[in-house]
Amino acid sequence: MRESRLMLLQYITALLAVALVAVHLLTQGIIYPYSTAISFGTILSLYRNGLYAIFLEALLVVVLVHGFNGVRIILHEWRQTAPWSRWVDIGTVVAIVATVAFGSKTVILAVFGGASG
Amino acid sequence: MKDLKLVVQRFDPVKDASPKMVEYAVPKREGMTVLDALLYARDYVDHSIGLRFSCRQASCGSCGMKINGRPRLACYTQVEELGGEKVVAQPMDNFAIIKDLVTDLGSFFDKHKAVTPRLVREDGEEQERPTGEYLMTPGELSKVLQFTYCIKCGLCTSSCPTVATDERYPGPQALTQAYRYSADARDQGGAERIAALDNSHGVWRCHFAGSCSYVCPKGVDPALGIQLLKRHVMTGKPPHAKDEASKVWKAPESGR
Repeated sequence: MRESRLMLLQYITALLAVALVAVHLLTQGIIYPYSTAISFGTILSLYRNGLYAIFLEALLVVVLVHGFNGVRIILHEWRQTAPWSRWVDIGTVVAIVATVAFGSKTVILAVFGGASG
Repeated sequence: MKDLKLVVQRFDPVKDASPKMVEYAVPKREGMTVLDALLYARDYVDHSIGLRFSCRQASCGSCGMKINGRPRLACYTQVEELGGEKVVAQPMDNFAIIKDLVTDLGSFFDKHKAVTPRLVREDGEEQERPTGEYLMTPGELSKVLQFTYCIKCGLCTSSCPTVATDERYPGPQALTQAYRYSADARDQGGAERIAALDNSHGVWRCHFAGSCSYVCPKGVDPALGIQLLKRHVMTGKPPHAKDEASKVWKAPESGR
């Protein structure tokens, strides 16, 4: 993929992350008081809300893509050999796919009742 | 008038293990530039000081060096503007040292050439046998004018933090010239330059530190040029109207 497309992705995910994290924090404060917001039961009830589960999945993907793409950029600047660049790109894709899959598993299991409160 | 304390970094990679700072006493005179002081030291004190210069009027870009910690042109820097007491001259950062204050600009010019720093046209026949002139309006000229003032002295590149860490990064000079030609209404080579710069070591590695614009002795703003180039590379559209590039102005018949 052209670097300009990856940078466009980086800018878009940055903007989305700001918006989604803001909504996430505000929601926690508005729907539940902060003192109970991170209790197991509260979190599970949020996951079982379909819309909120989609929102959490979006937040997961946006933050991971932005974060790992940022690390990819730093690693490209660190060393400049062709094999290094190739492995950095491959490693970035693998890291994103693996962490999104791991995070999604939590969301999916919670939504479909894999965990119980 | 009190003598000027001129400190020069001396280093010959063939003979020396590490650079050393050598101090020279130079008689000051009104209007003395750092280049004048260096030439005095070389002519009357130590003939072996290595330095490069040519025009002495900030036109050729040969005498770029680090003066009192900041990249400057020696011919364009008055001793008095530095306080008049002590001047420290060192070679530019981010370049290999050939000897003393002379740096190797080979890779700098290679990167400049790599961005096709010339007008690229599709009408080869017109260029081989011109029938007129390519027109520019004052508005079109104003888009690129400041970037044409670049004298390729290398000061911007020597101050760039990305160049210091990424040897494949083209640097502010080359990137600014890429924009200068792509934004020229007479040019049709934008796609060629995008192909050379849209990669993991290209235009996107500029972090907008702005040191290039801070040190440019000609008032060019490379940091601005690079941001405009990013927009051009991102959109893929030329920074000027496409049809403008094909205009050829033909002189009217004189009737004589």
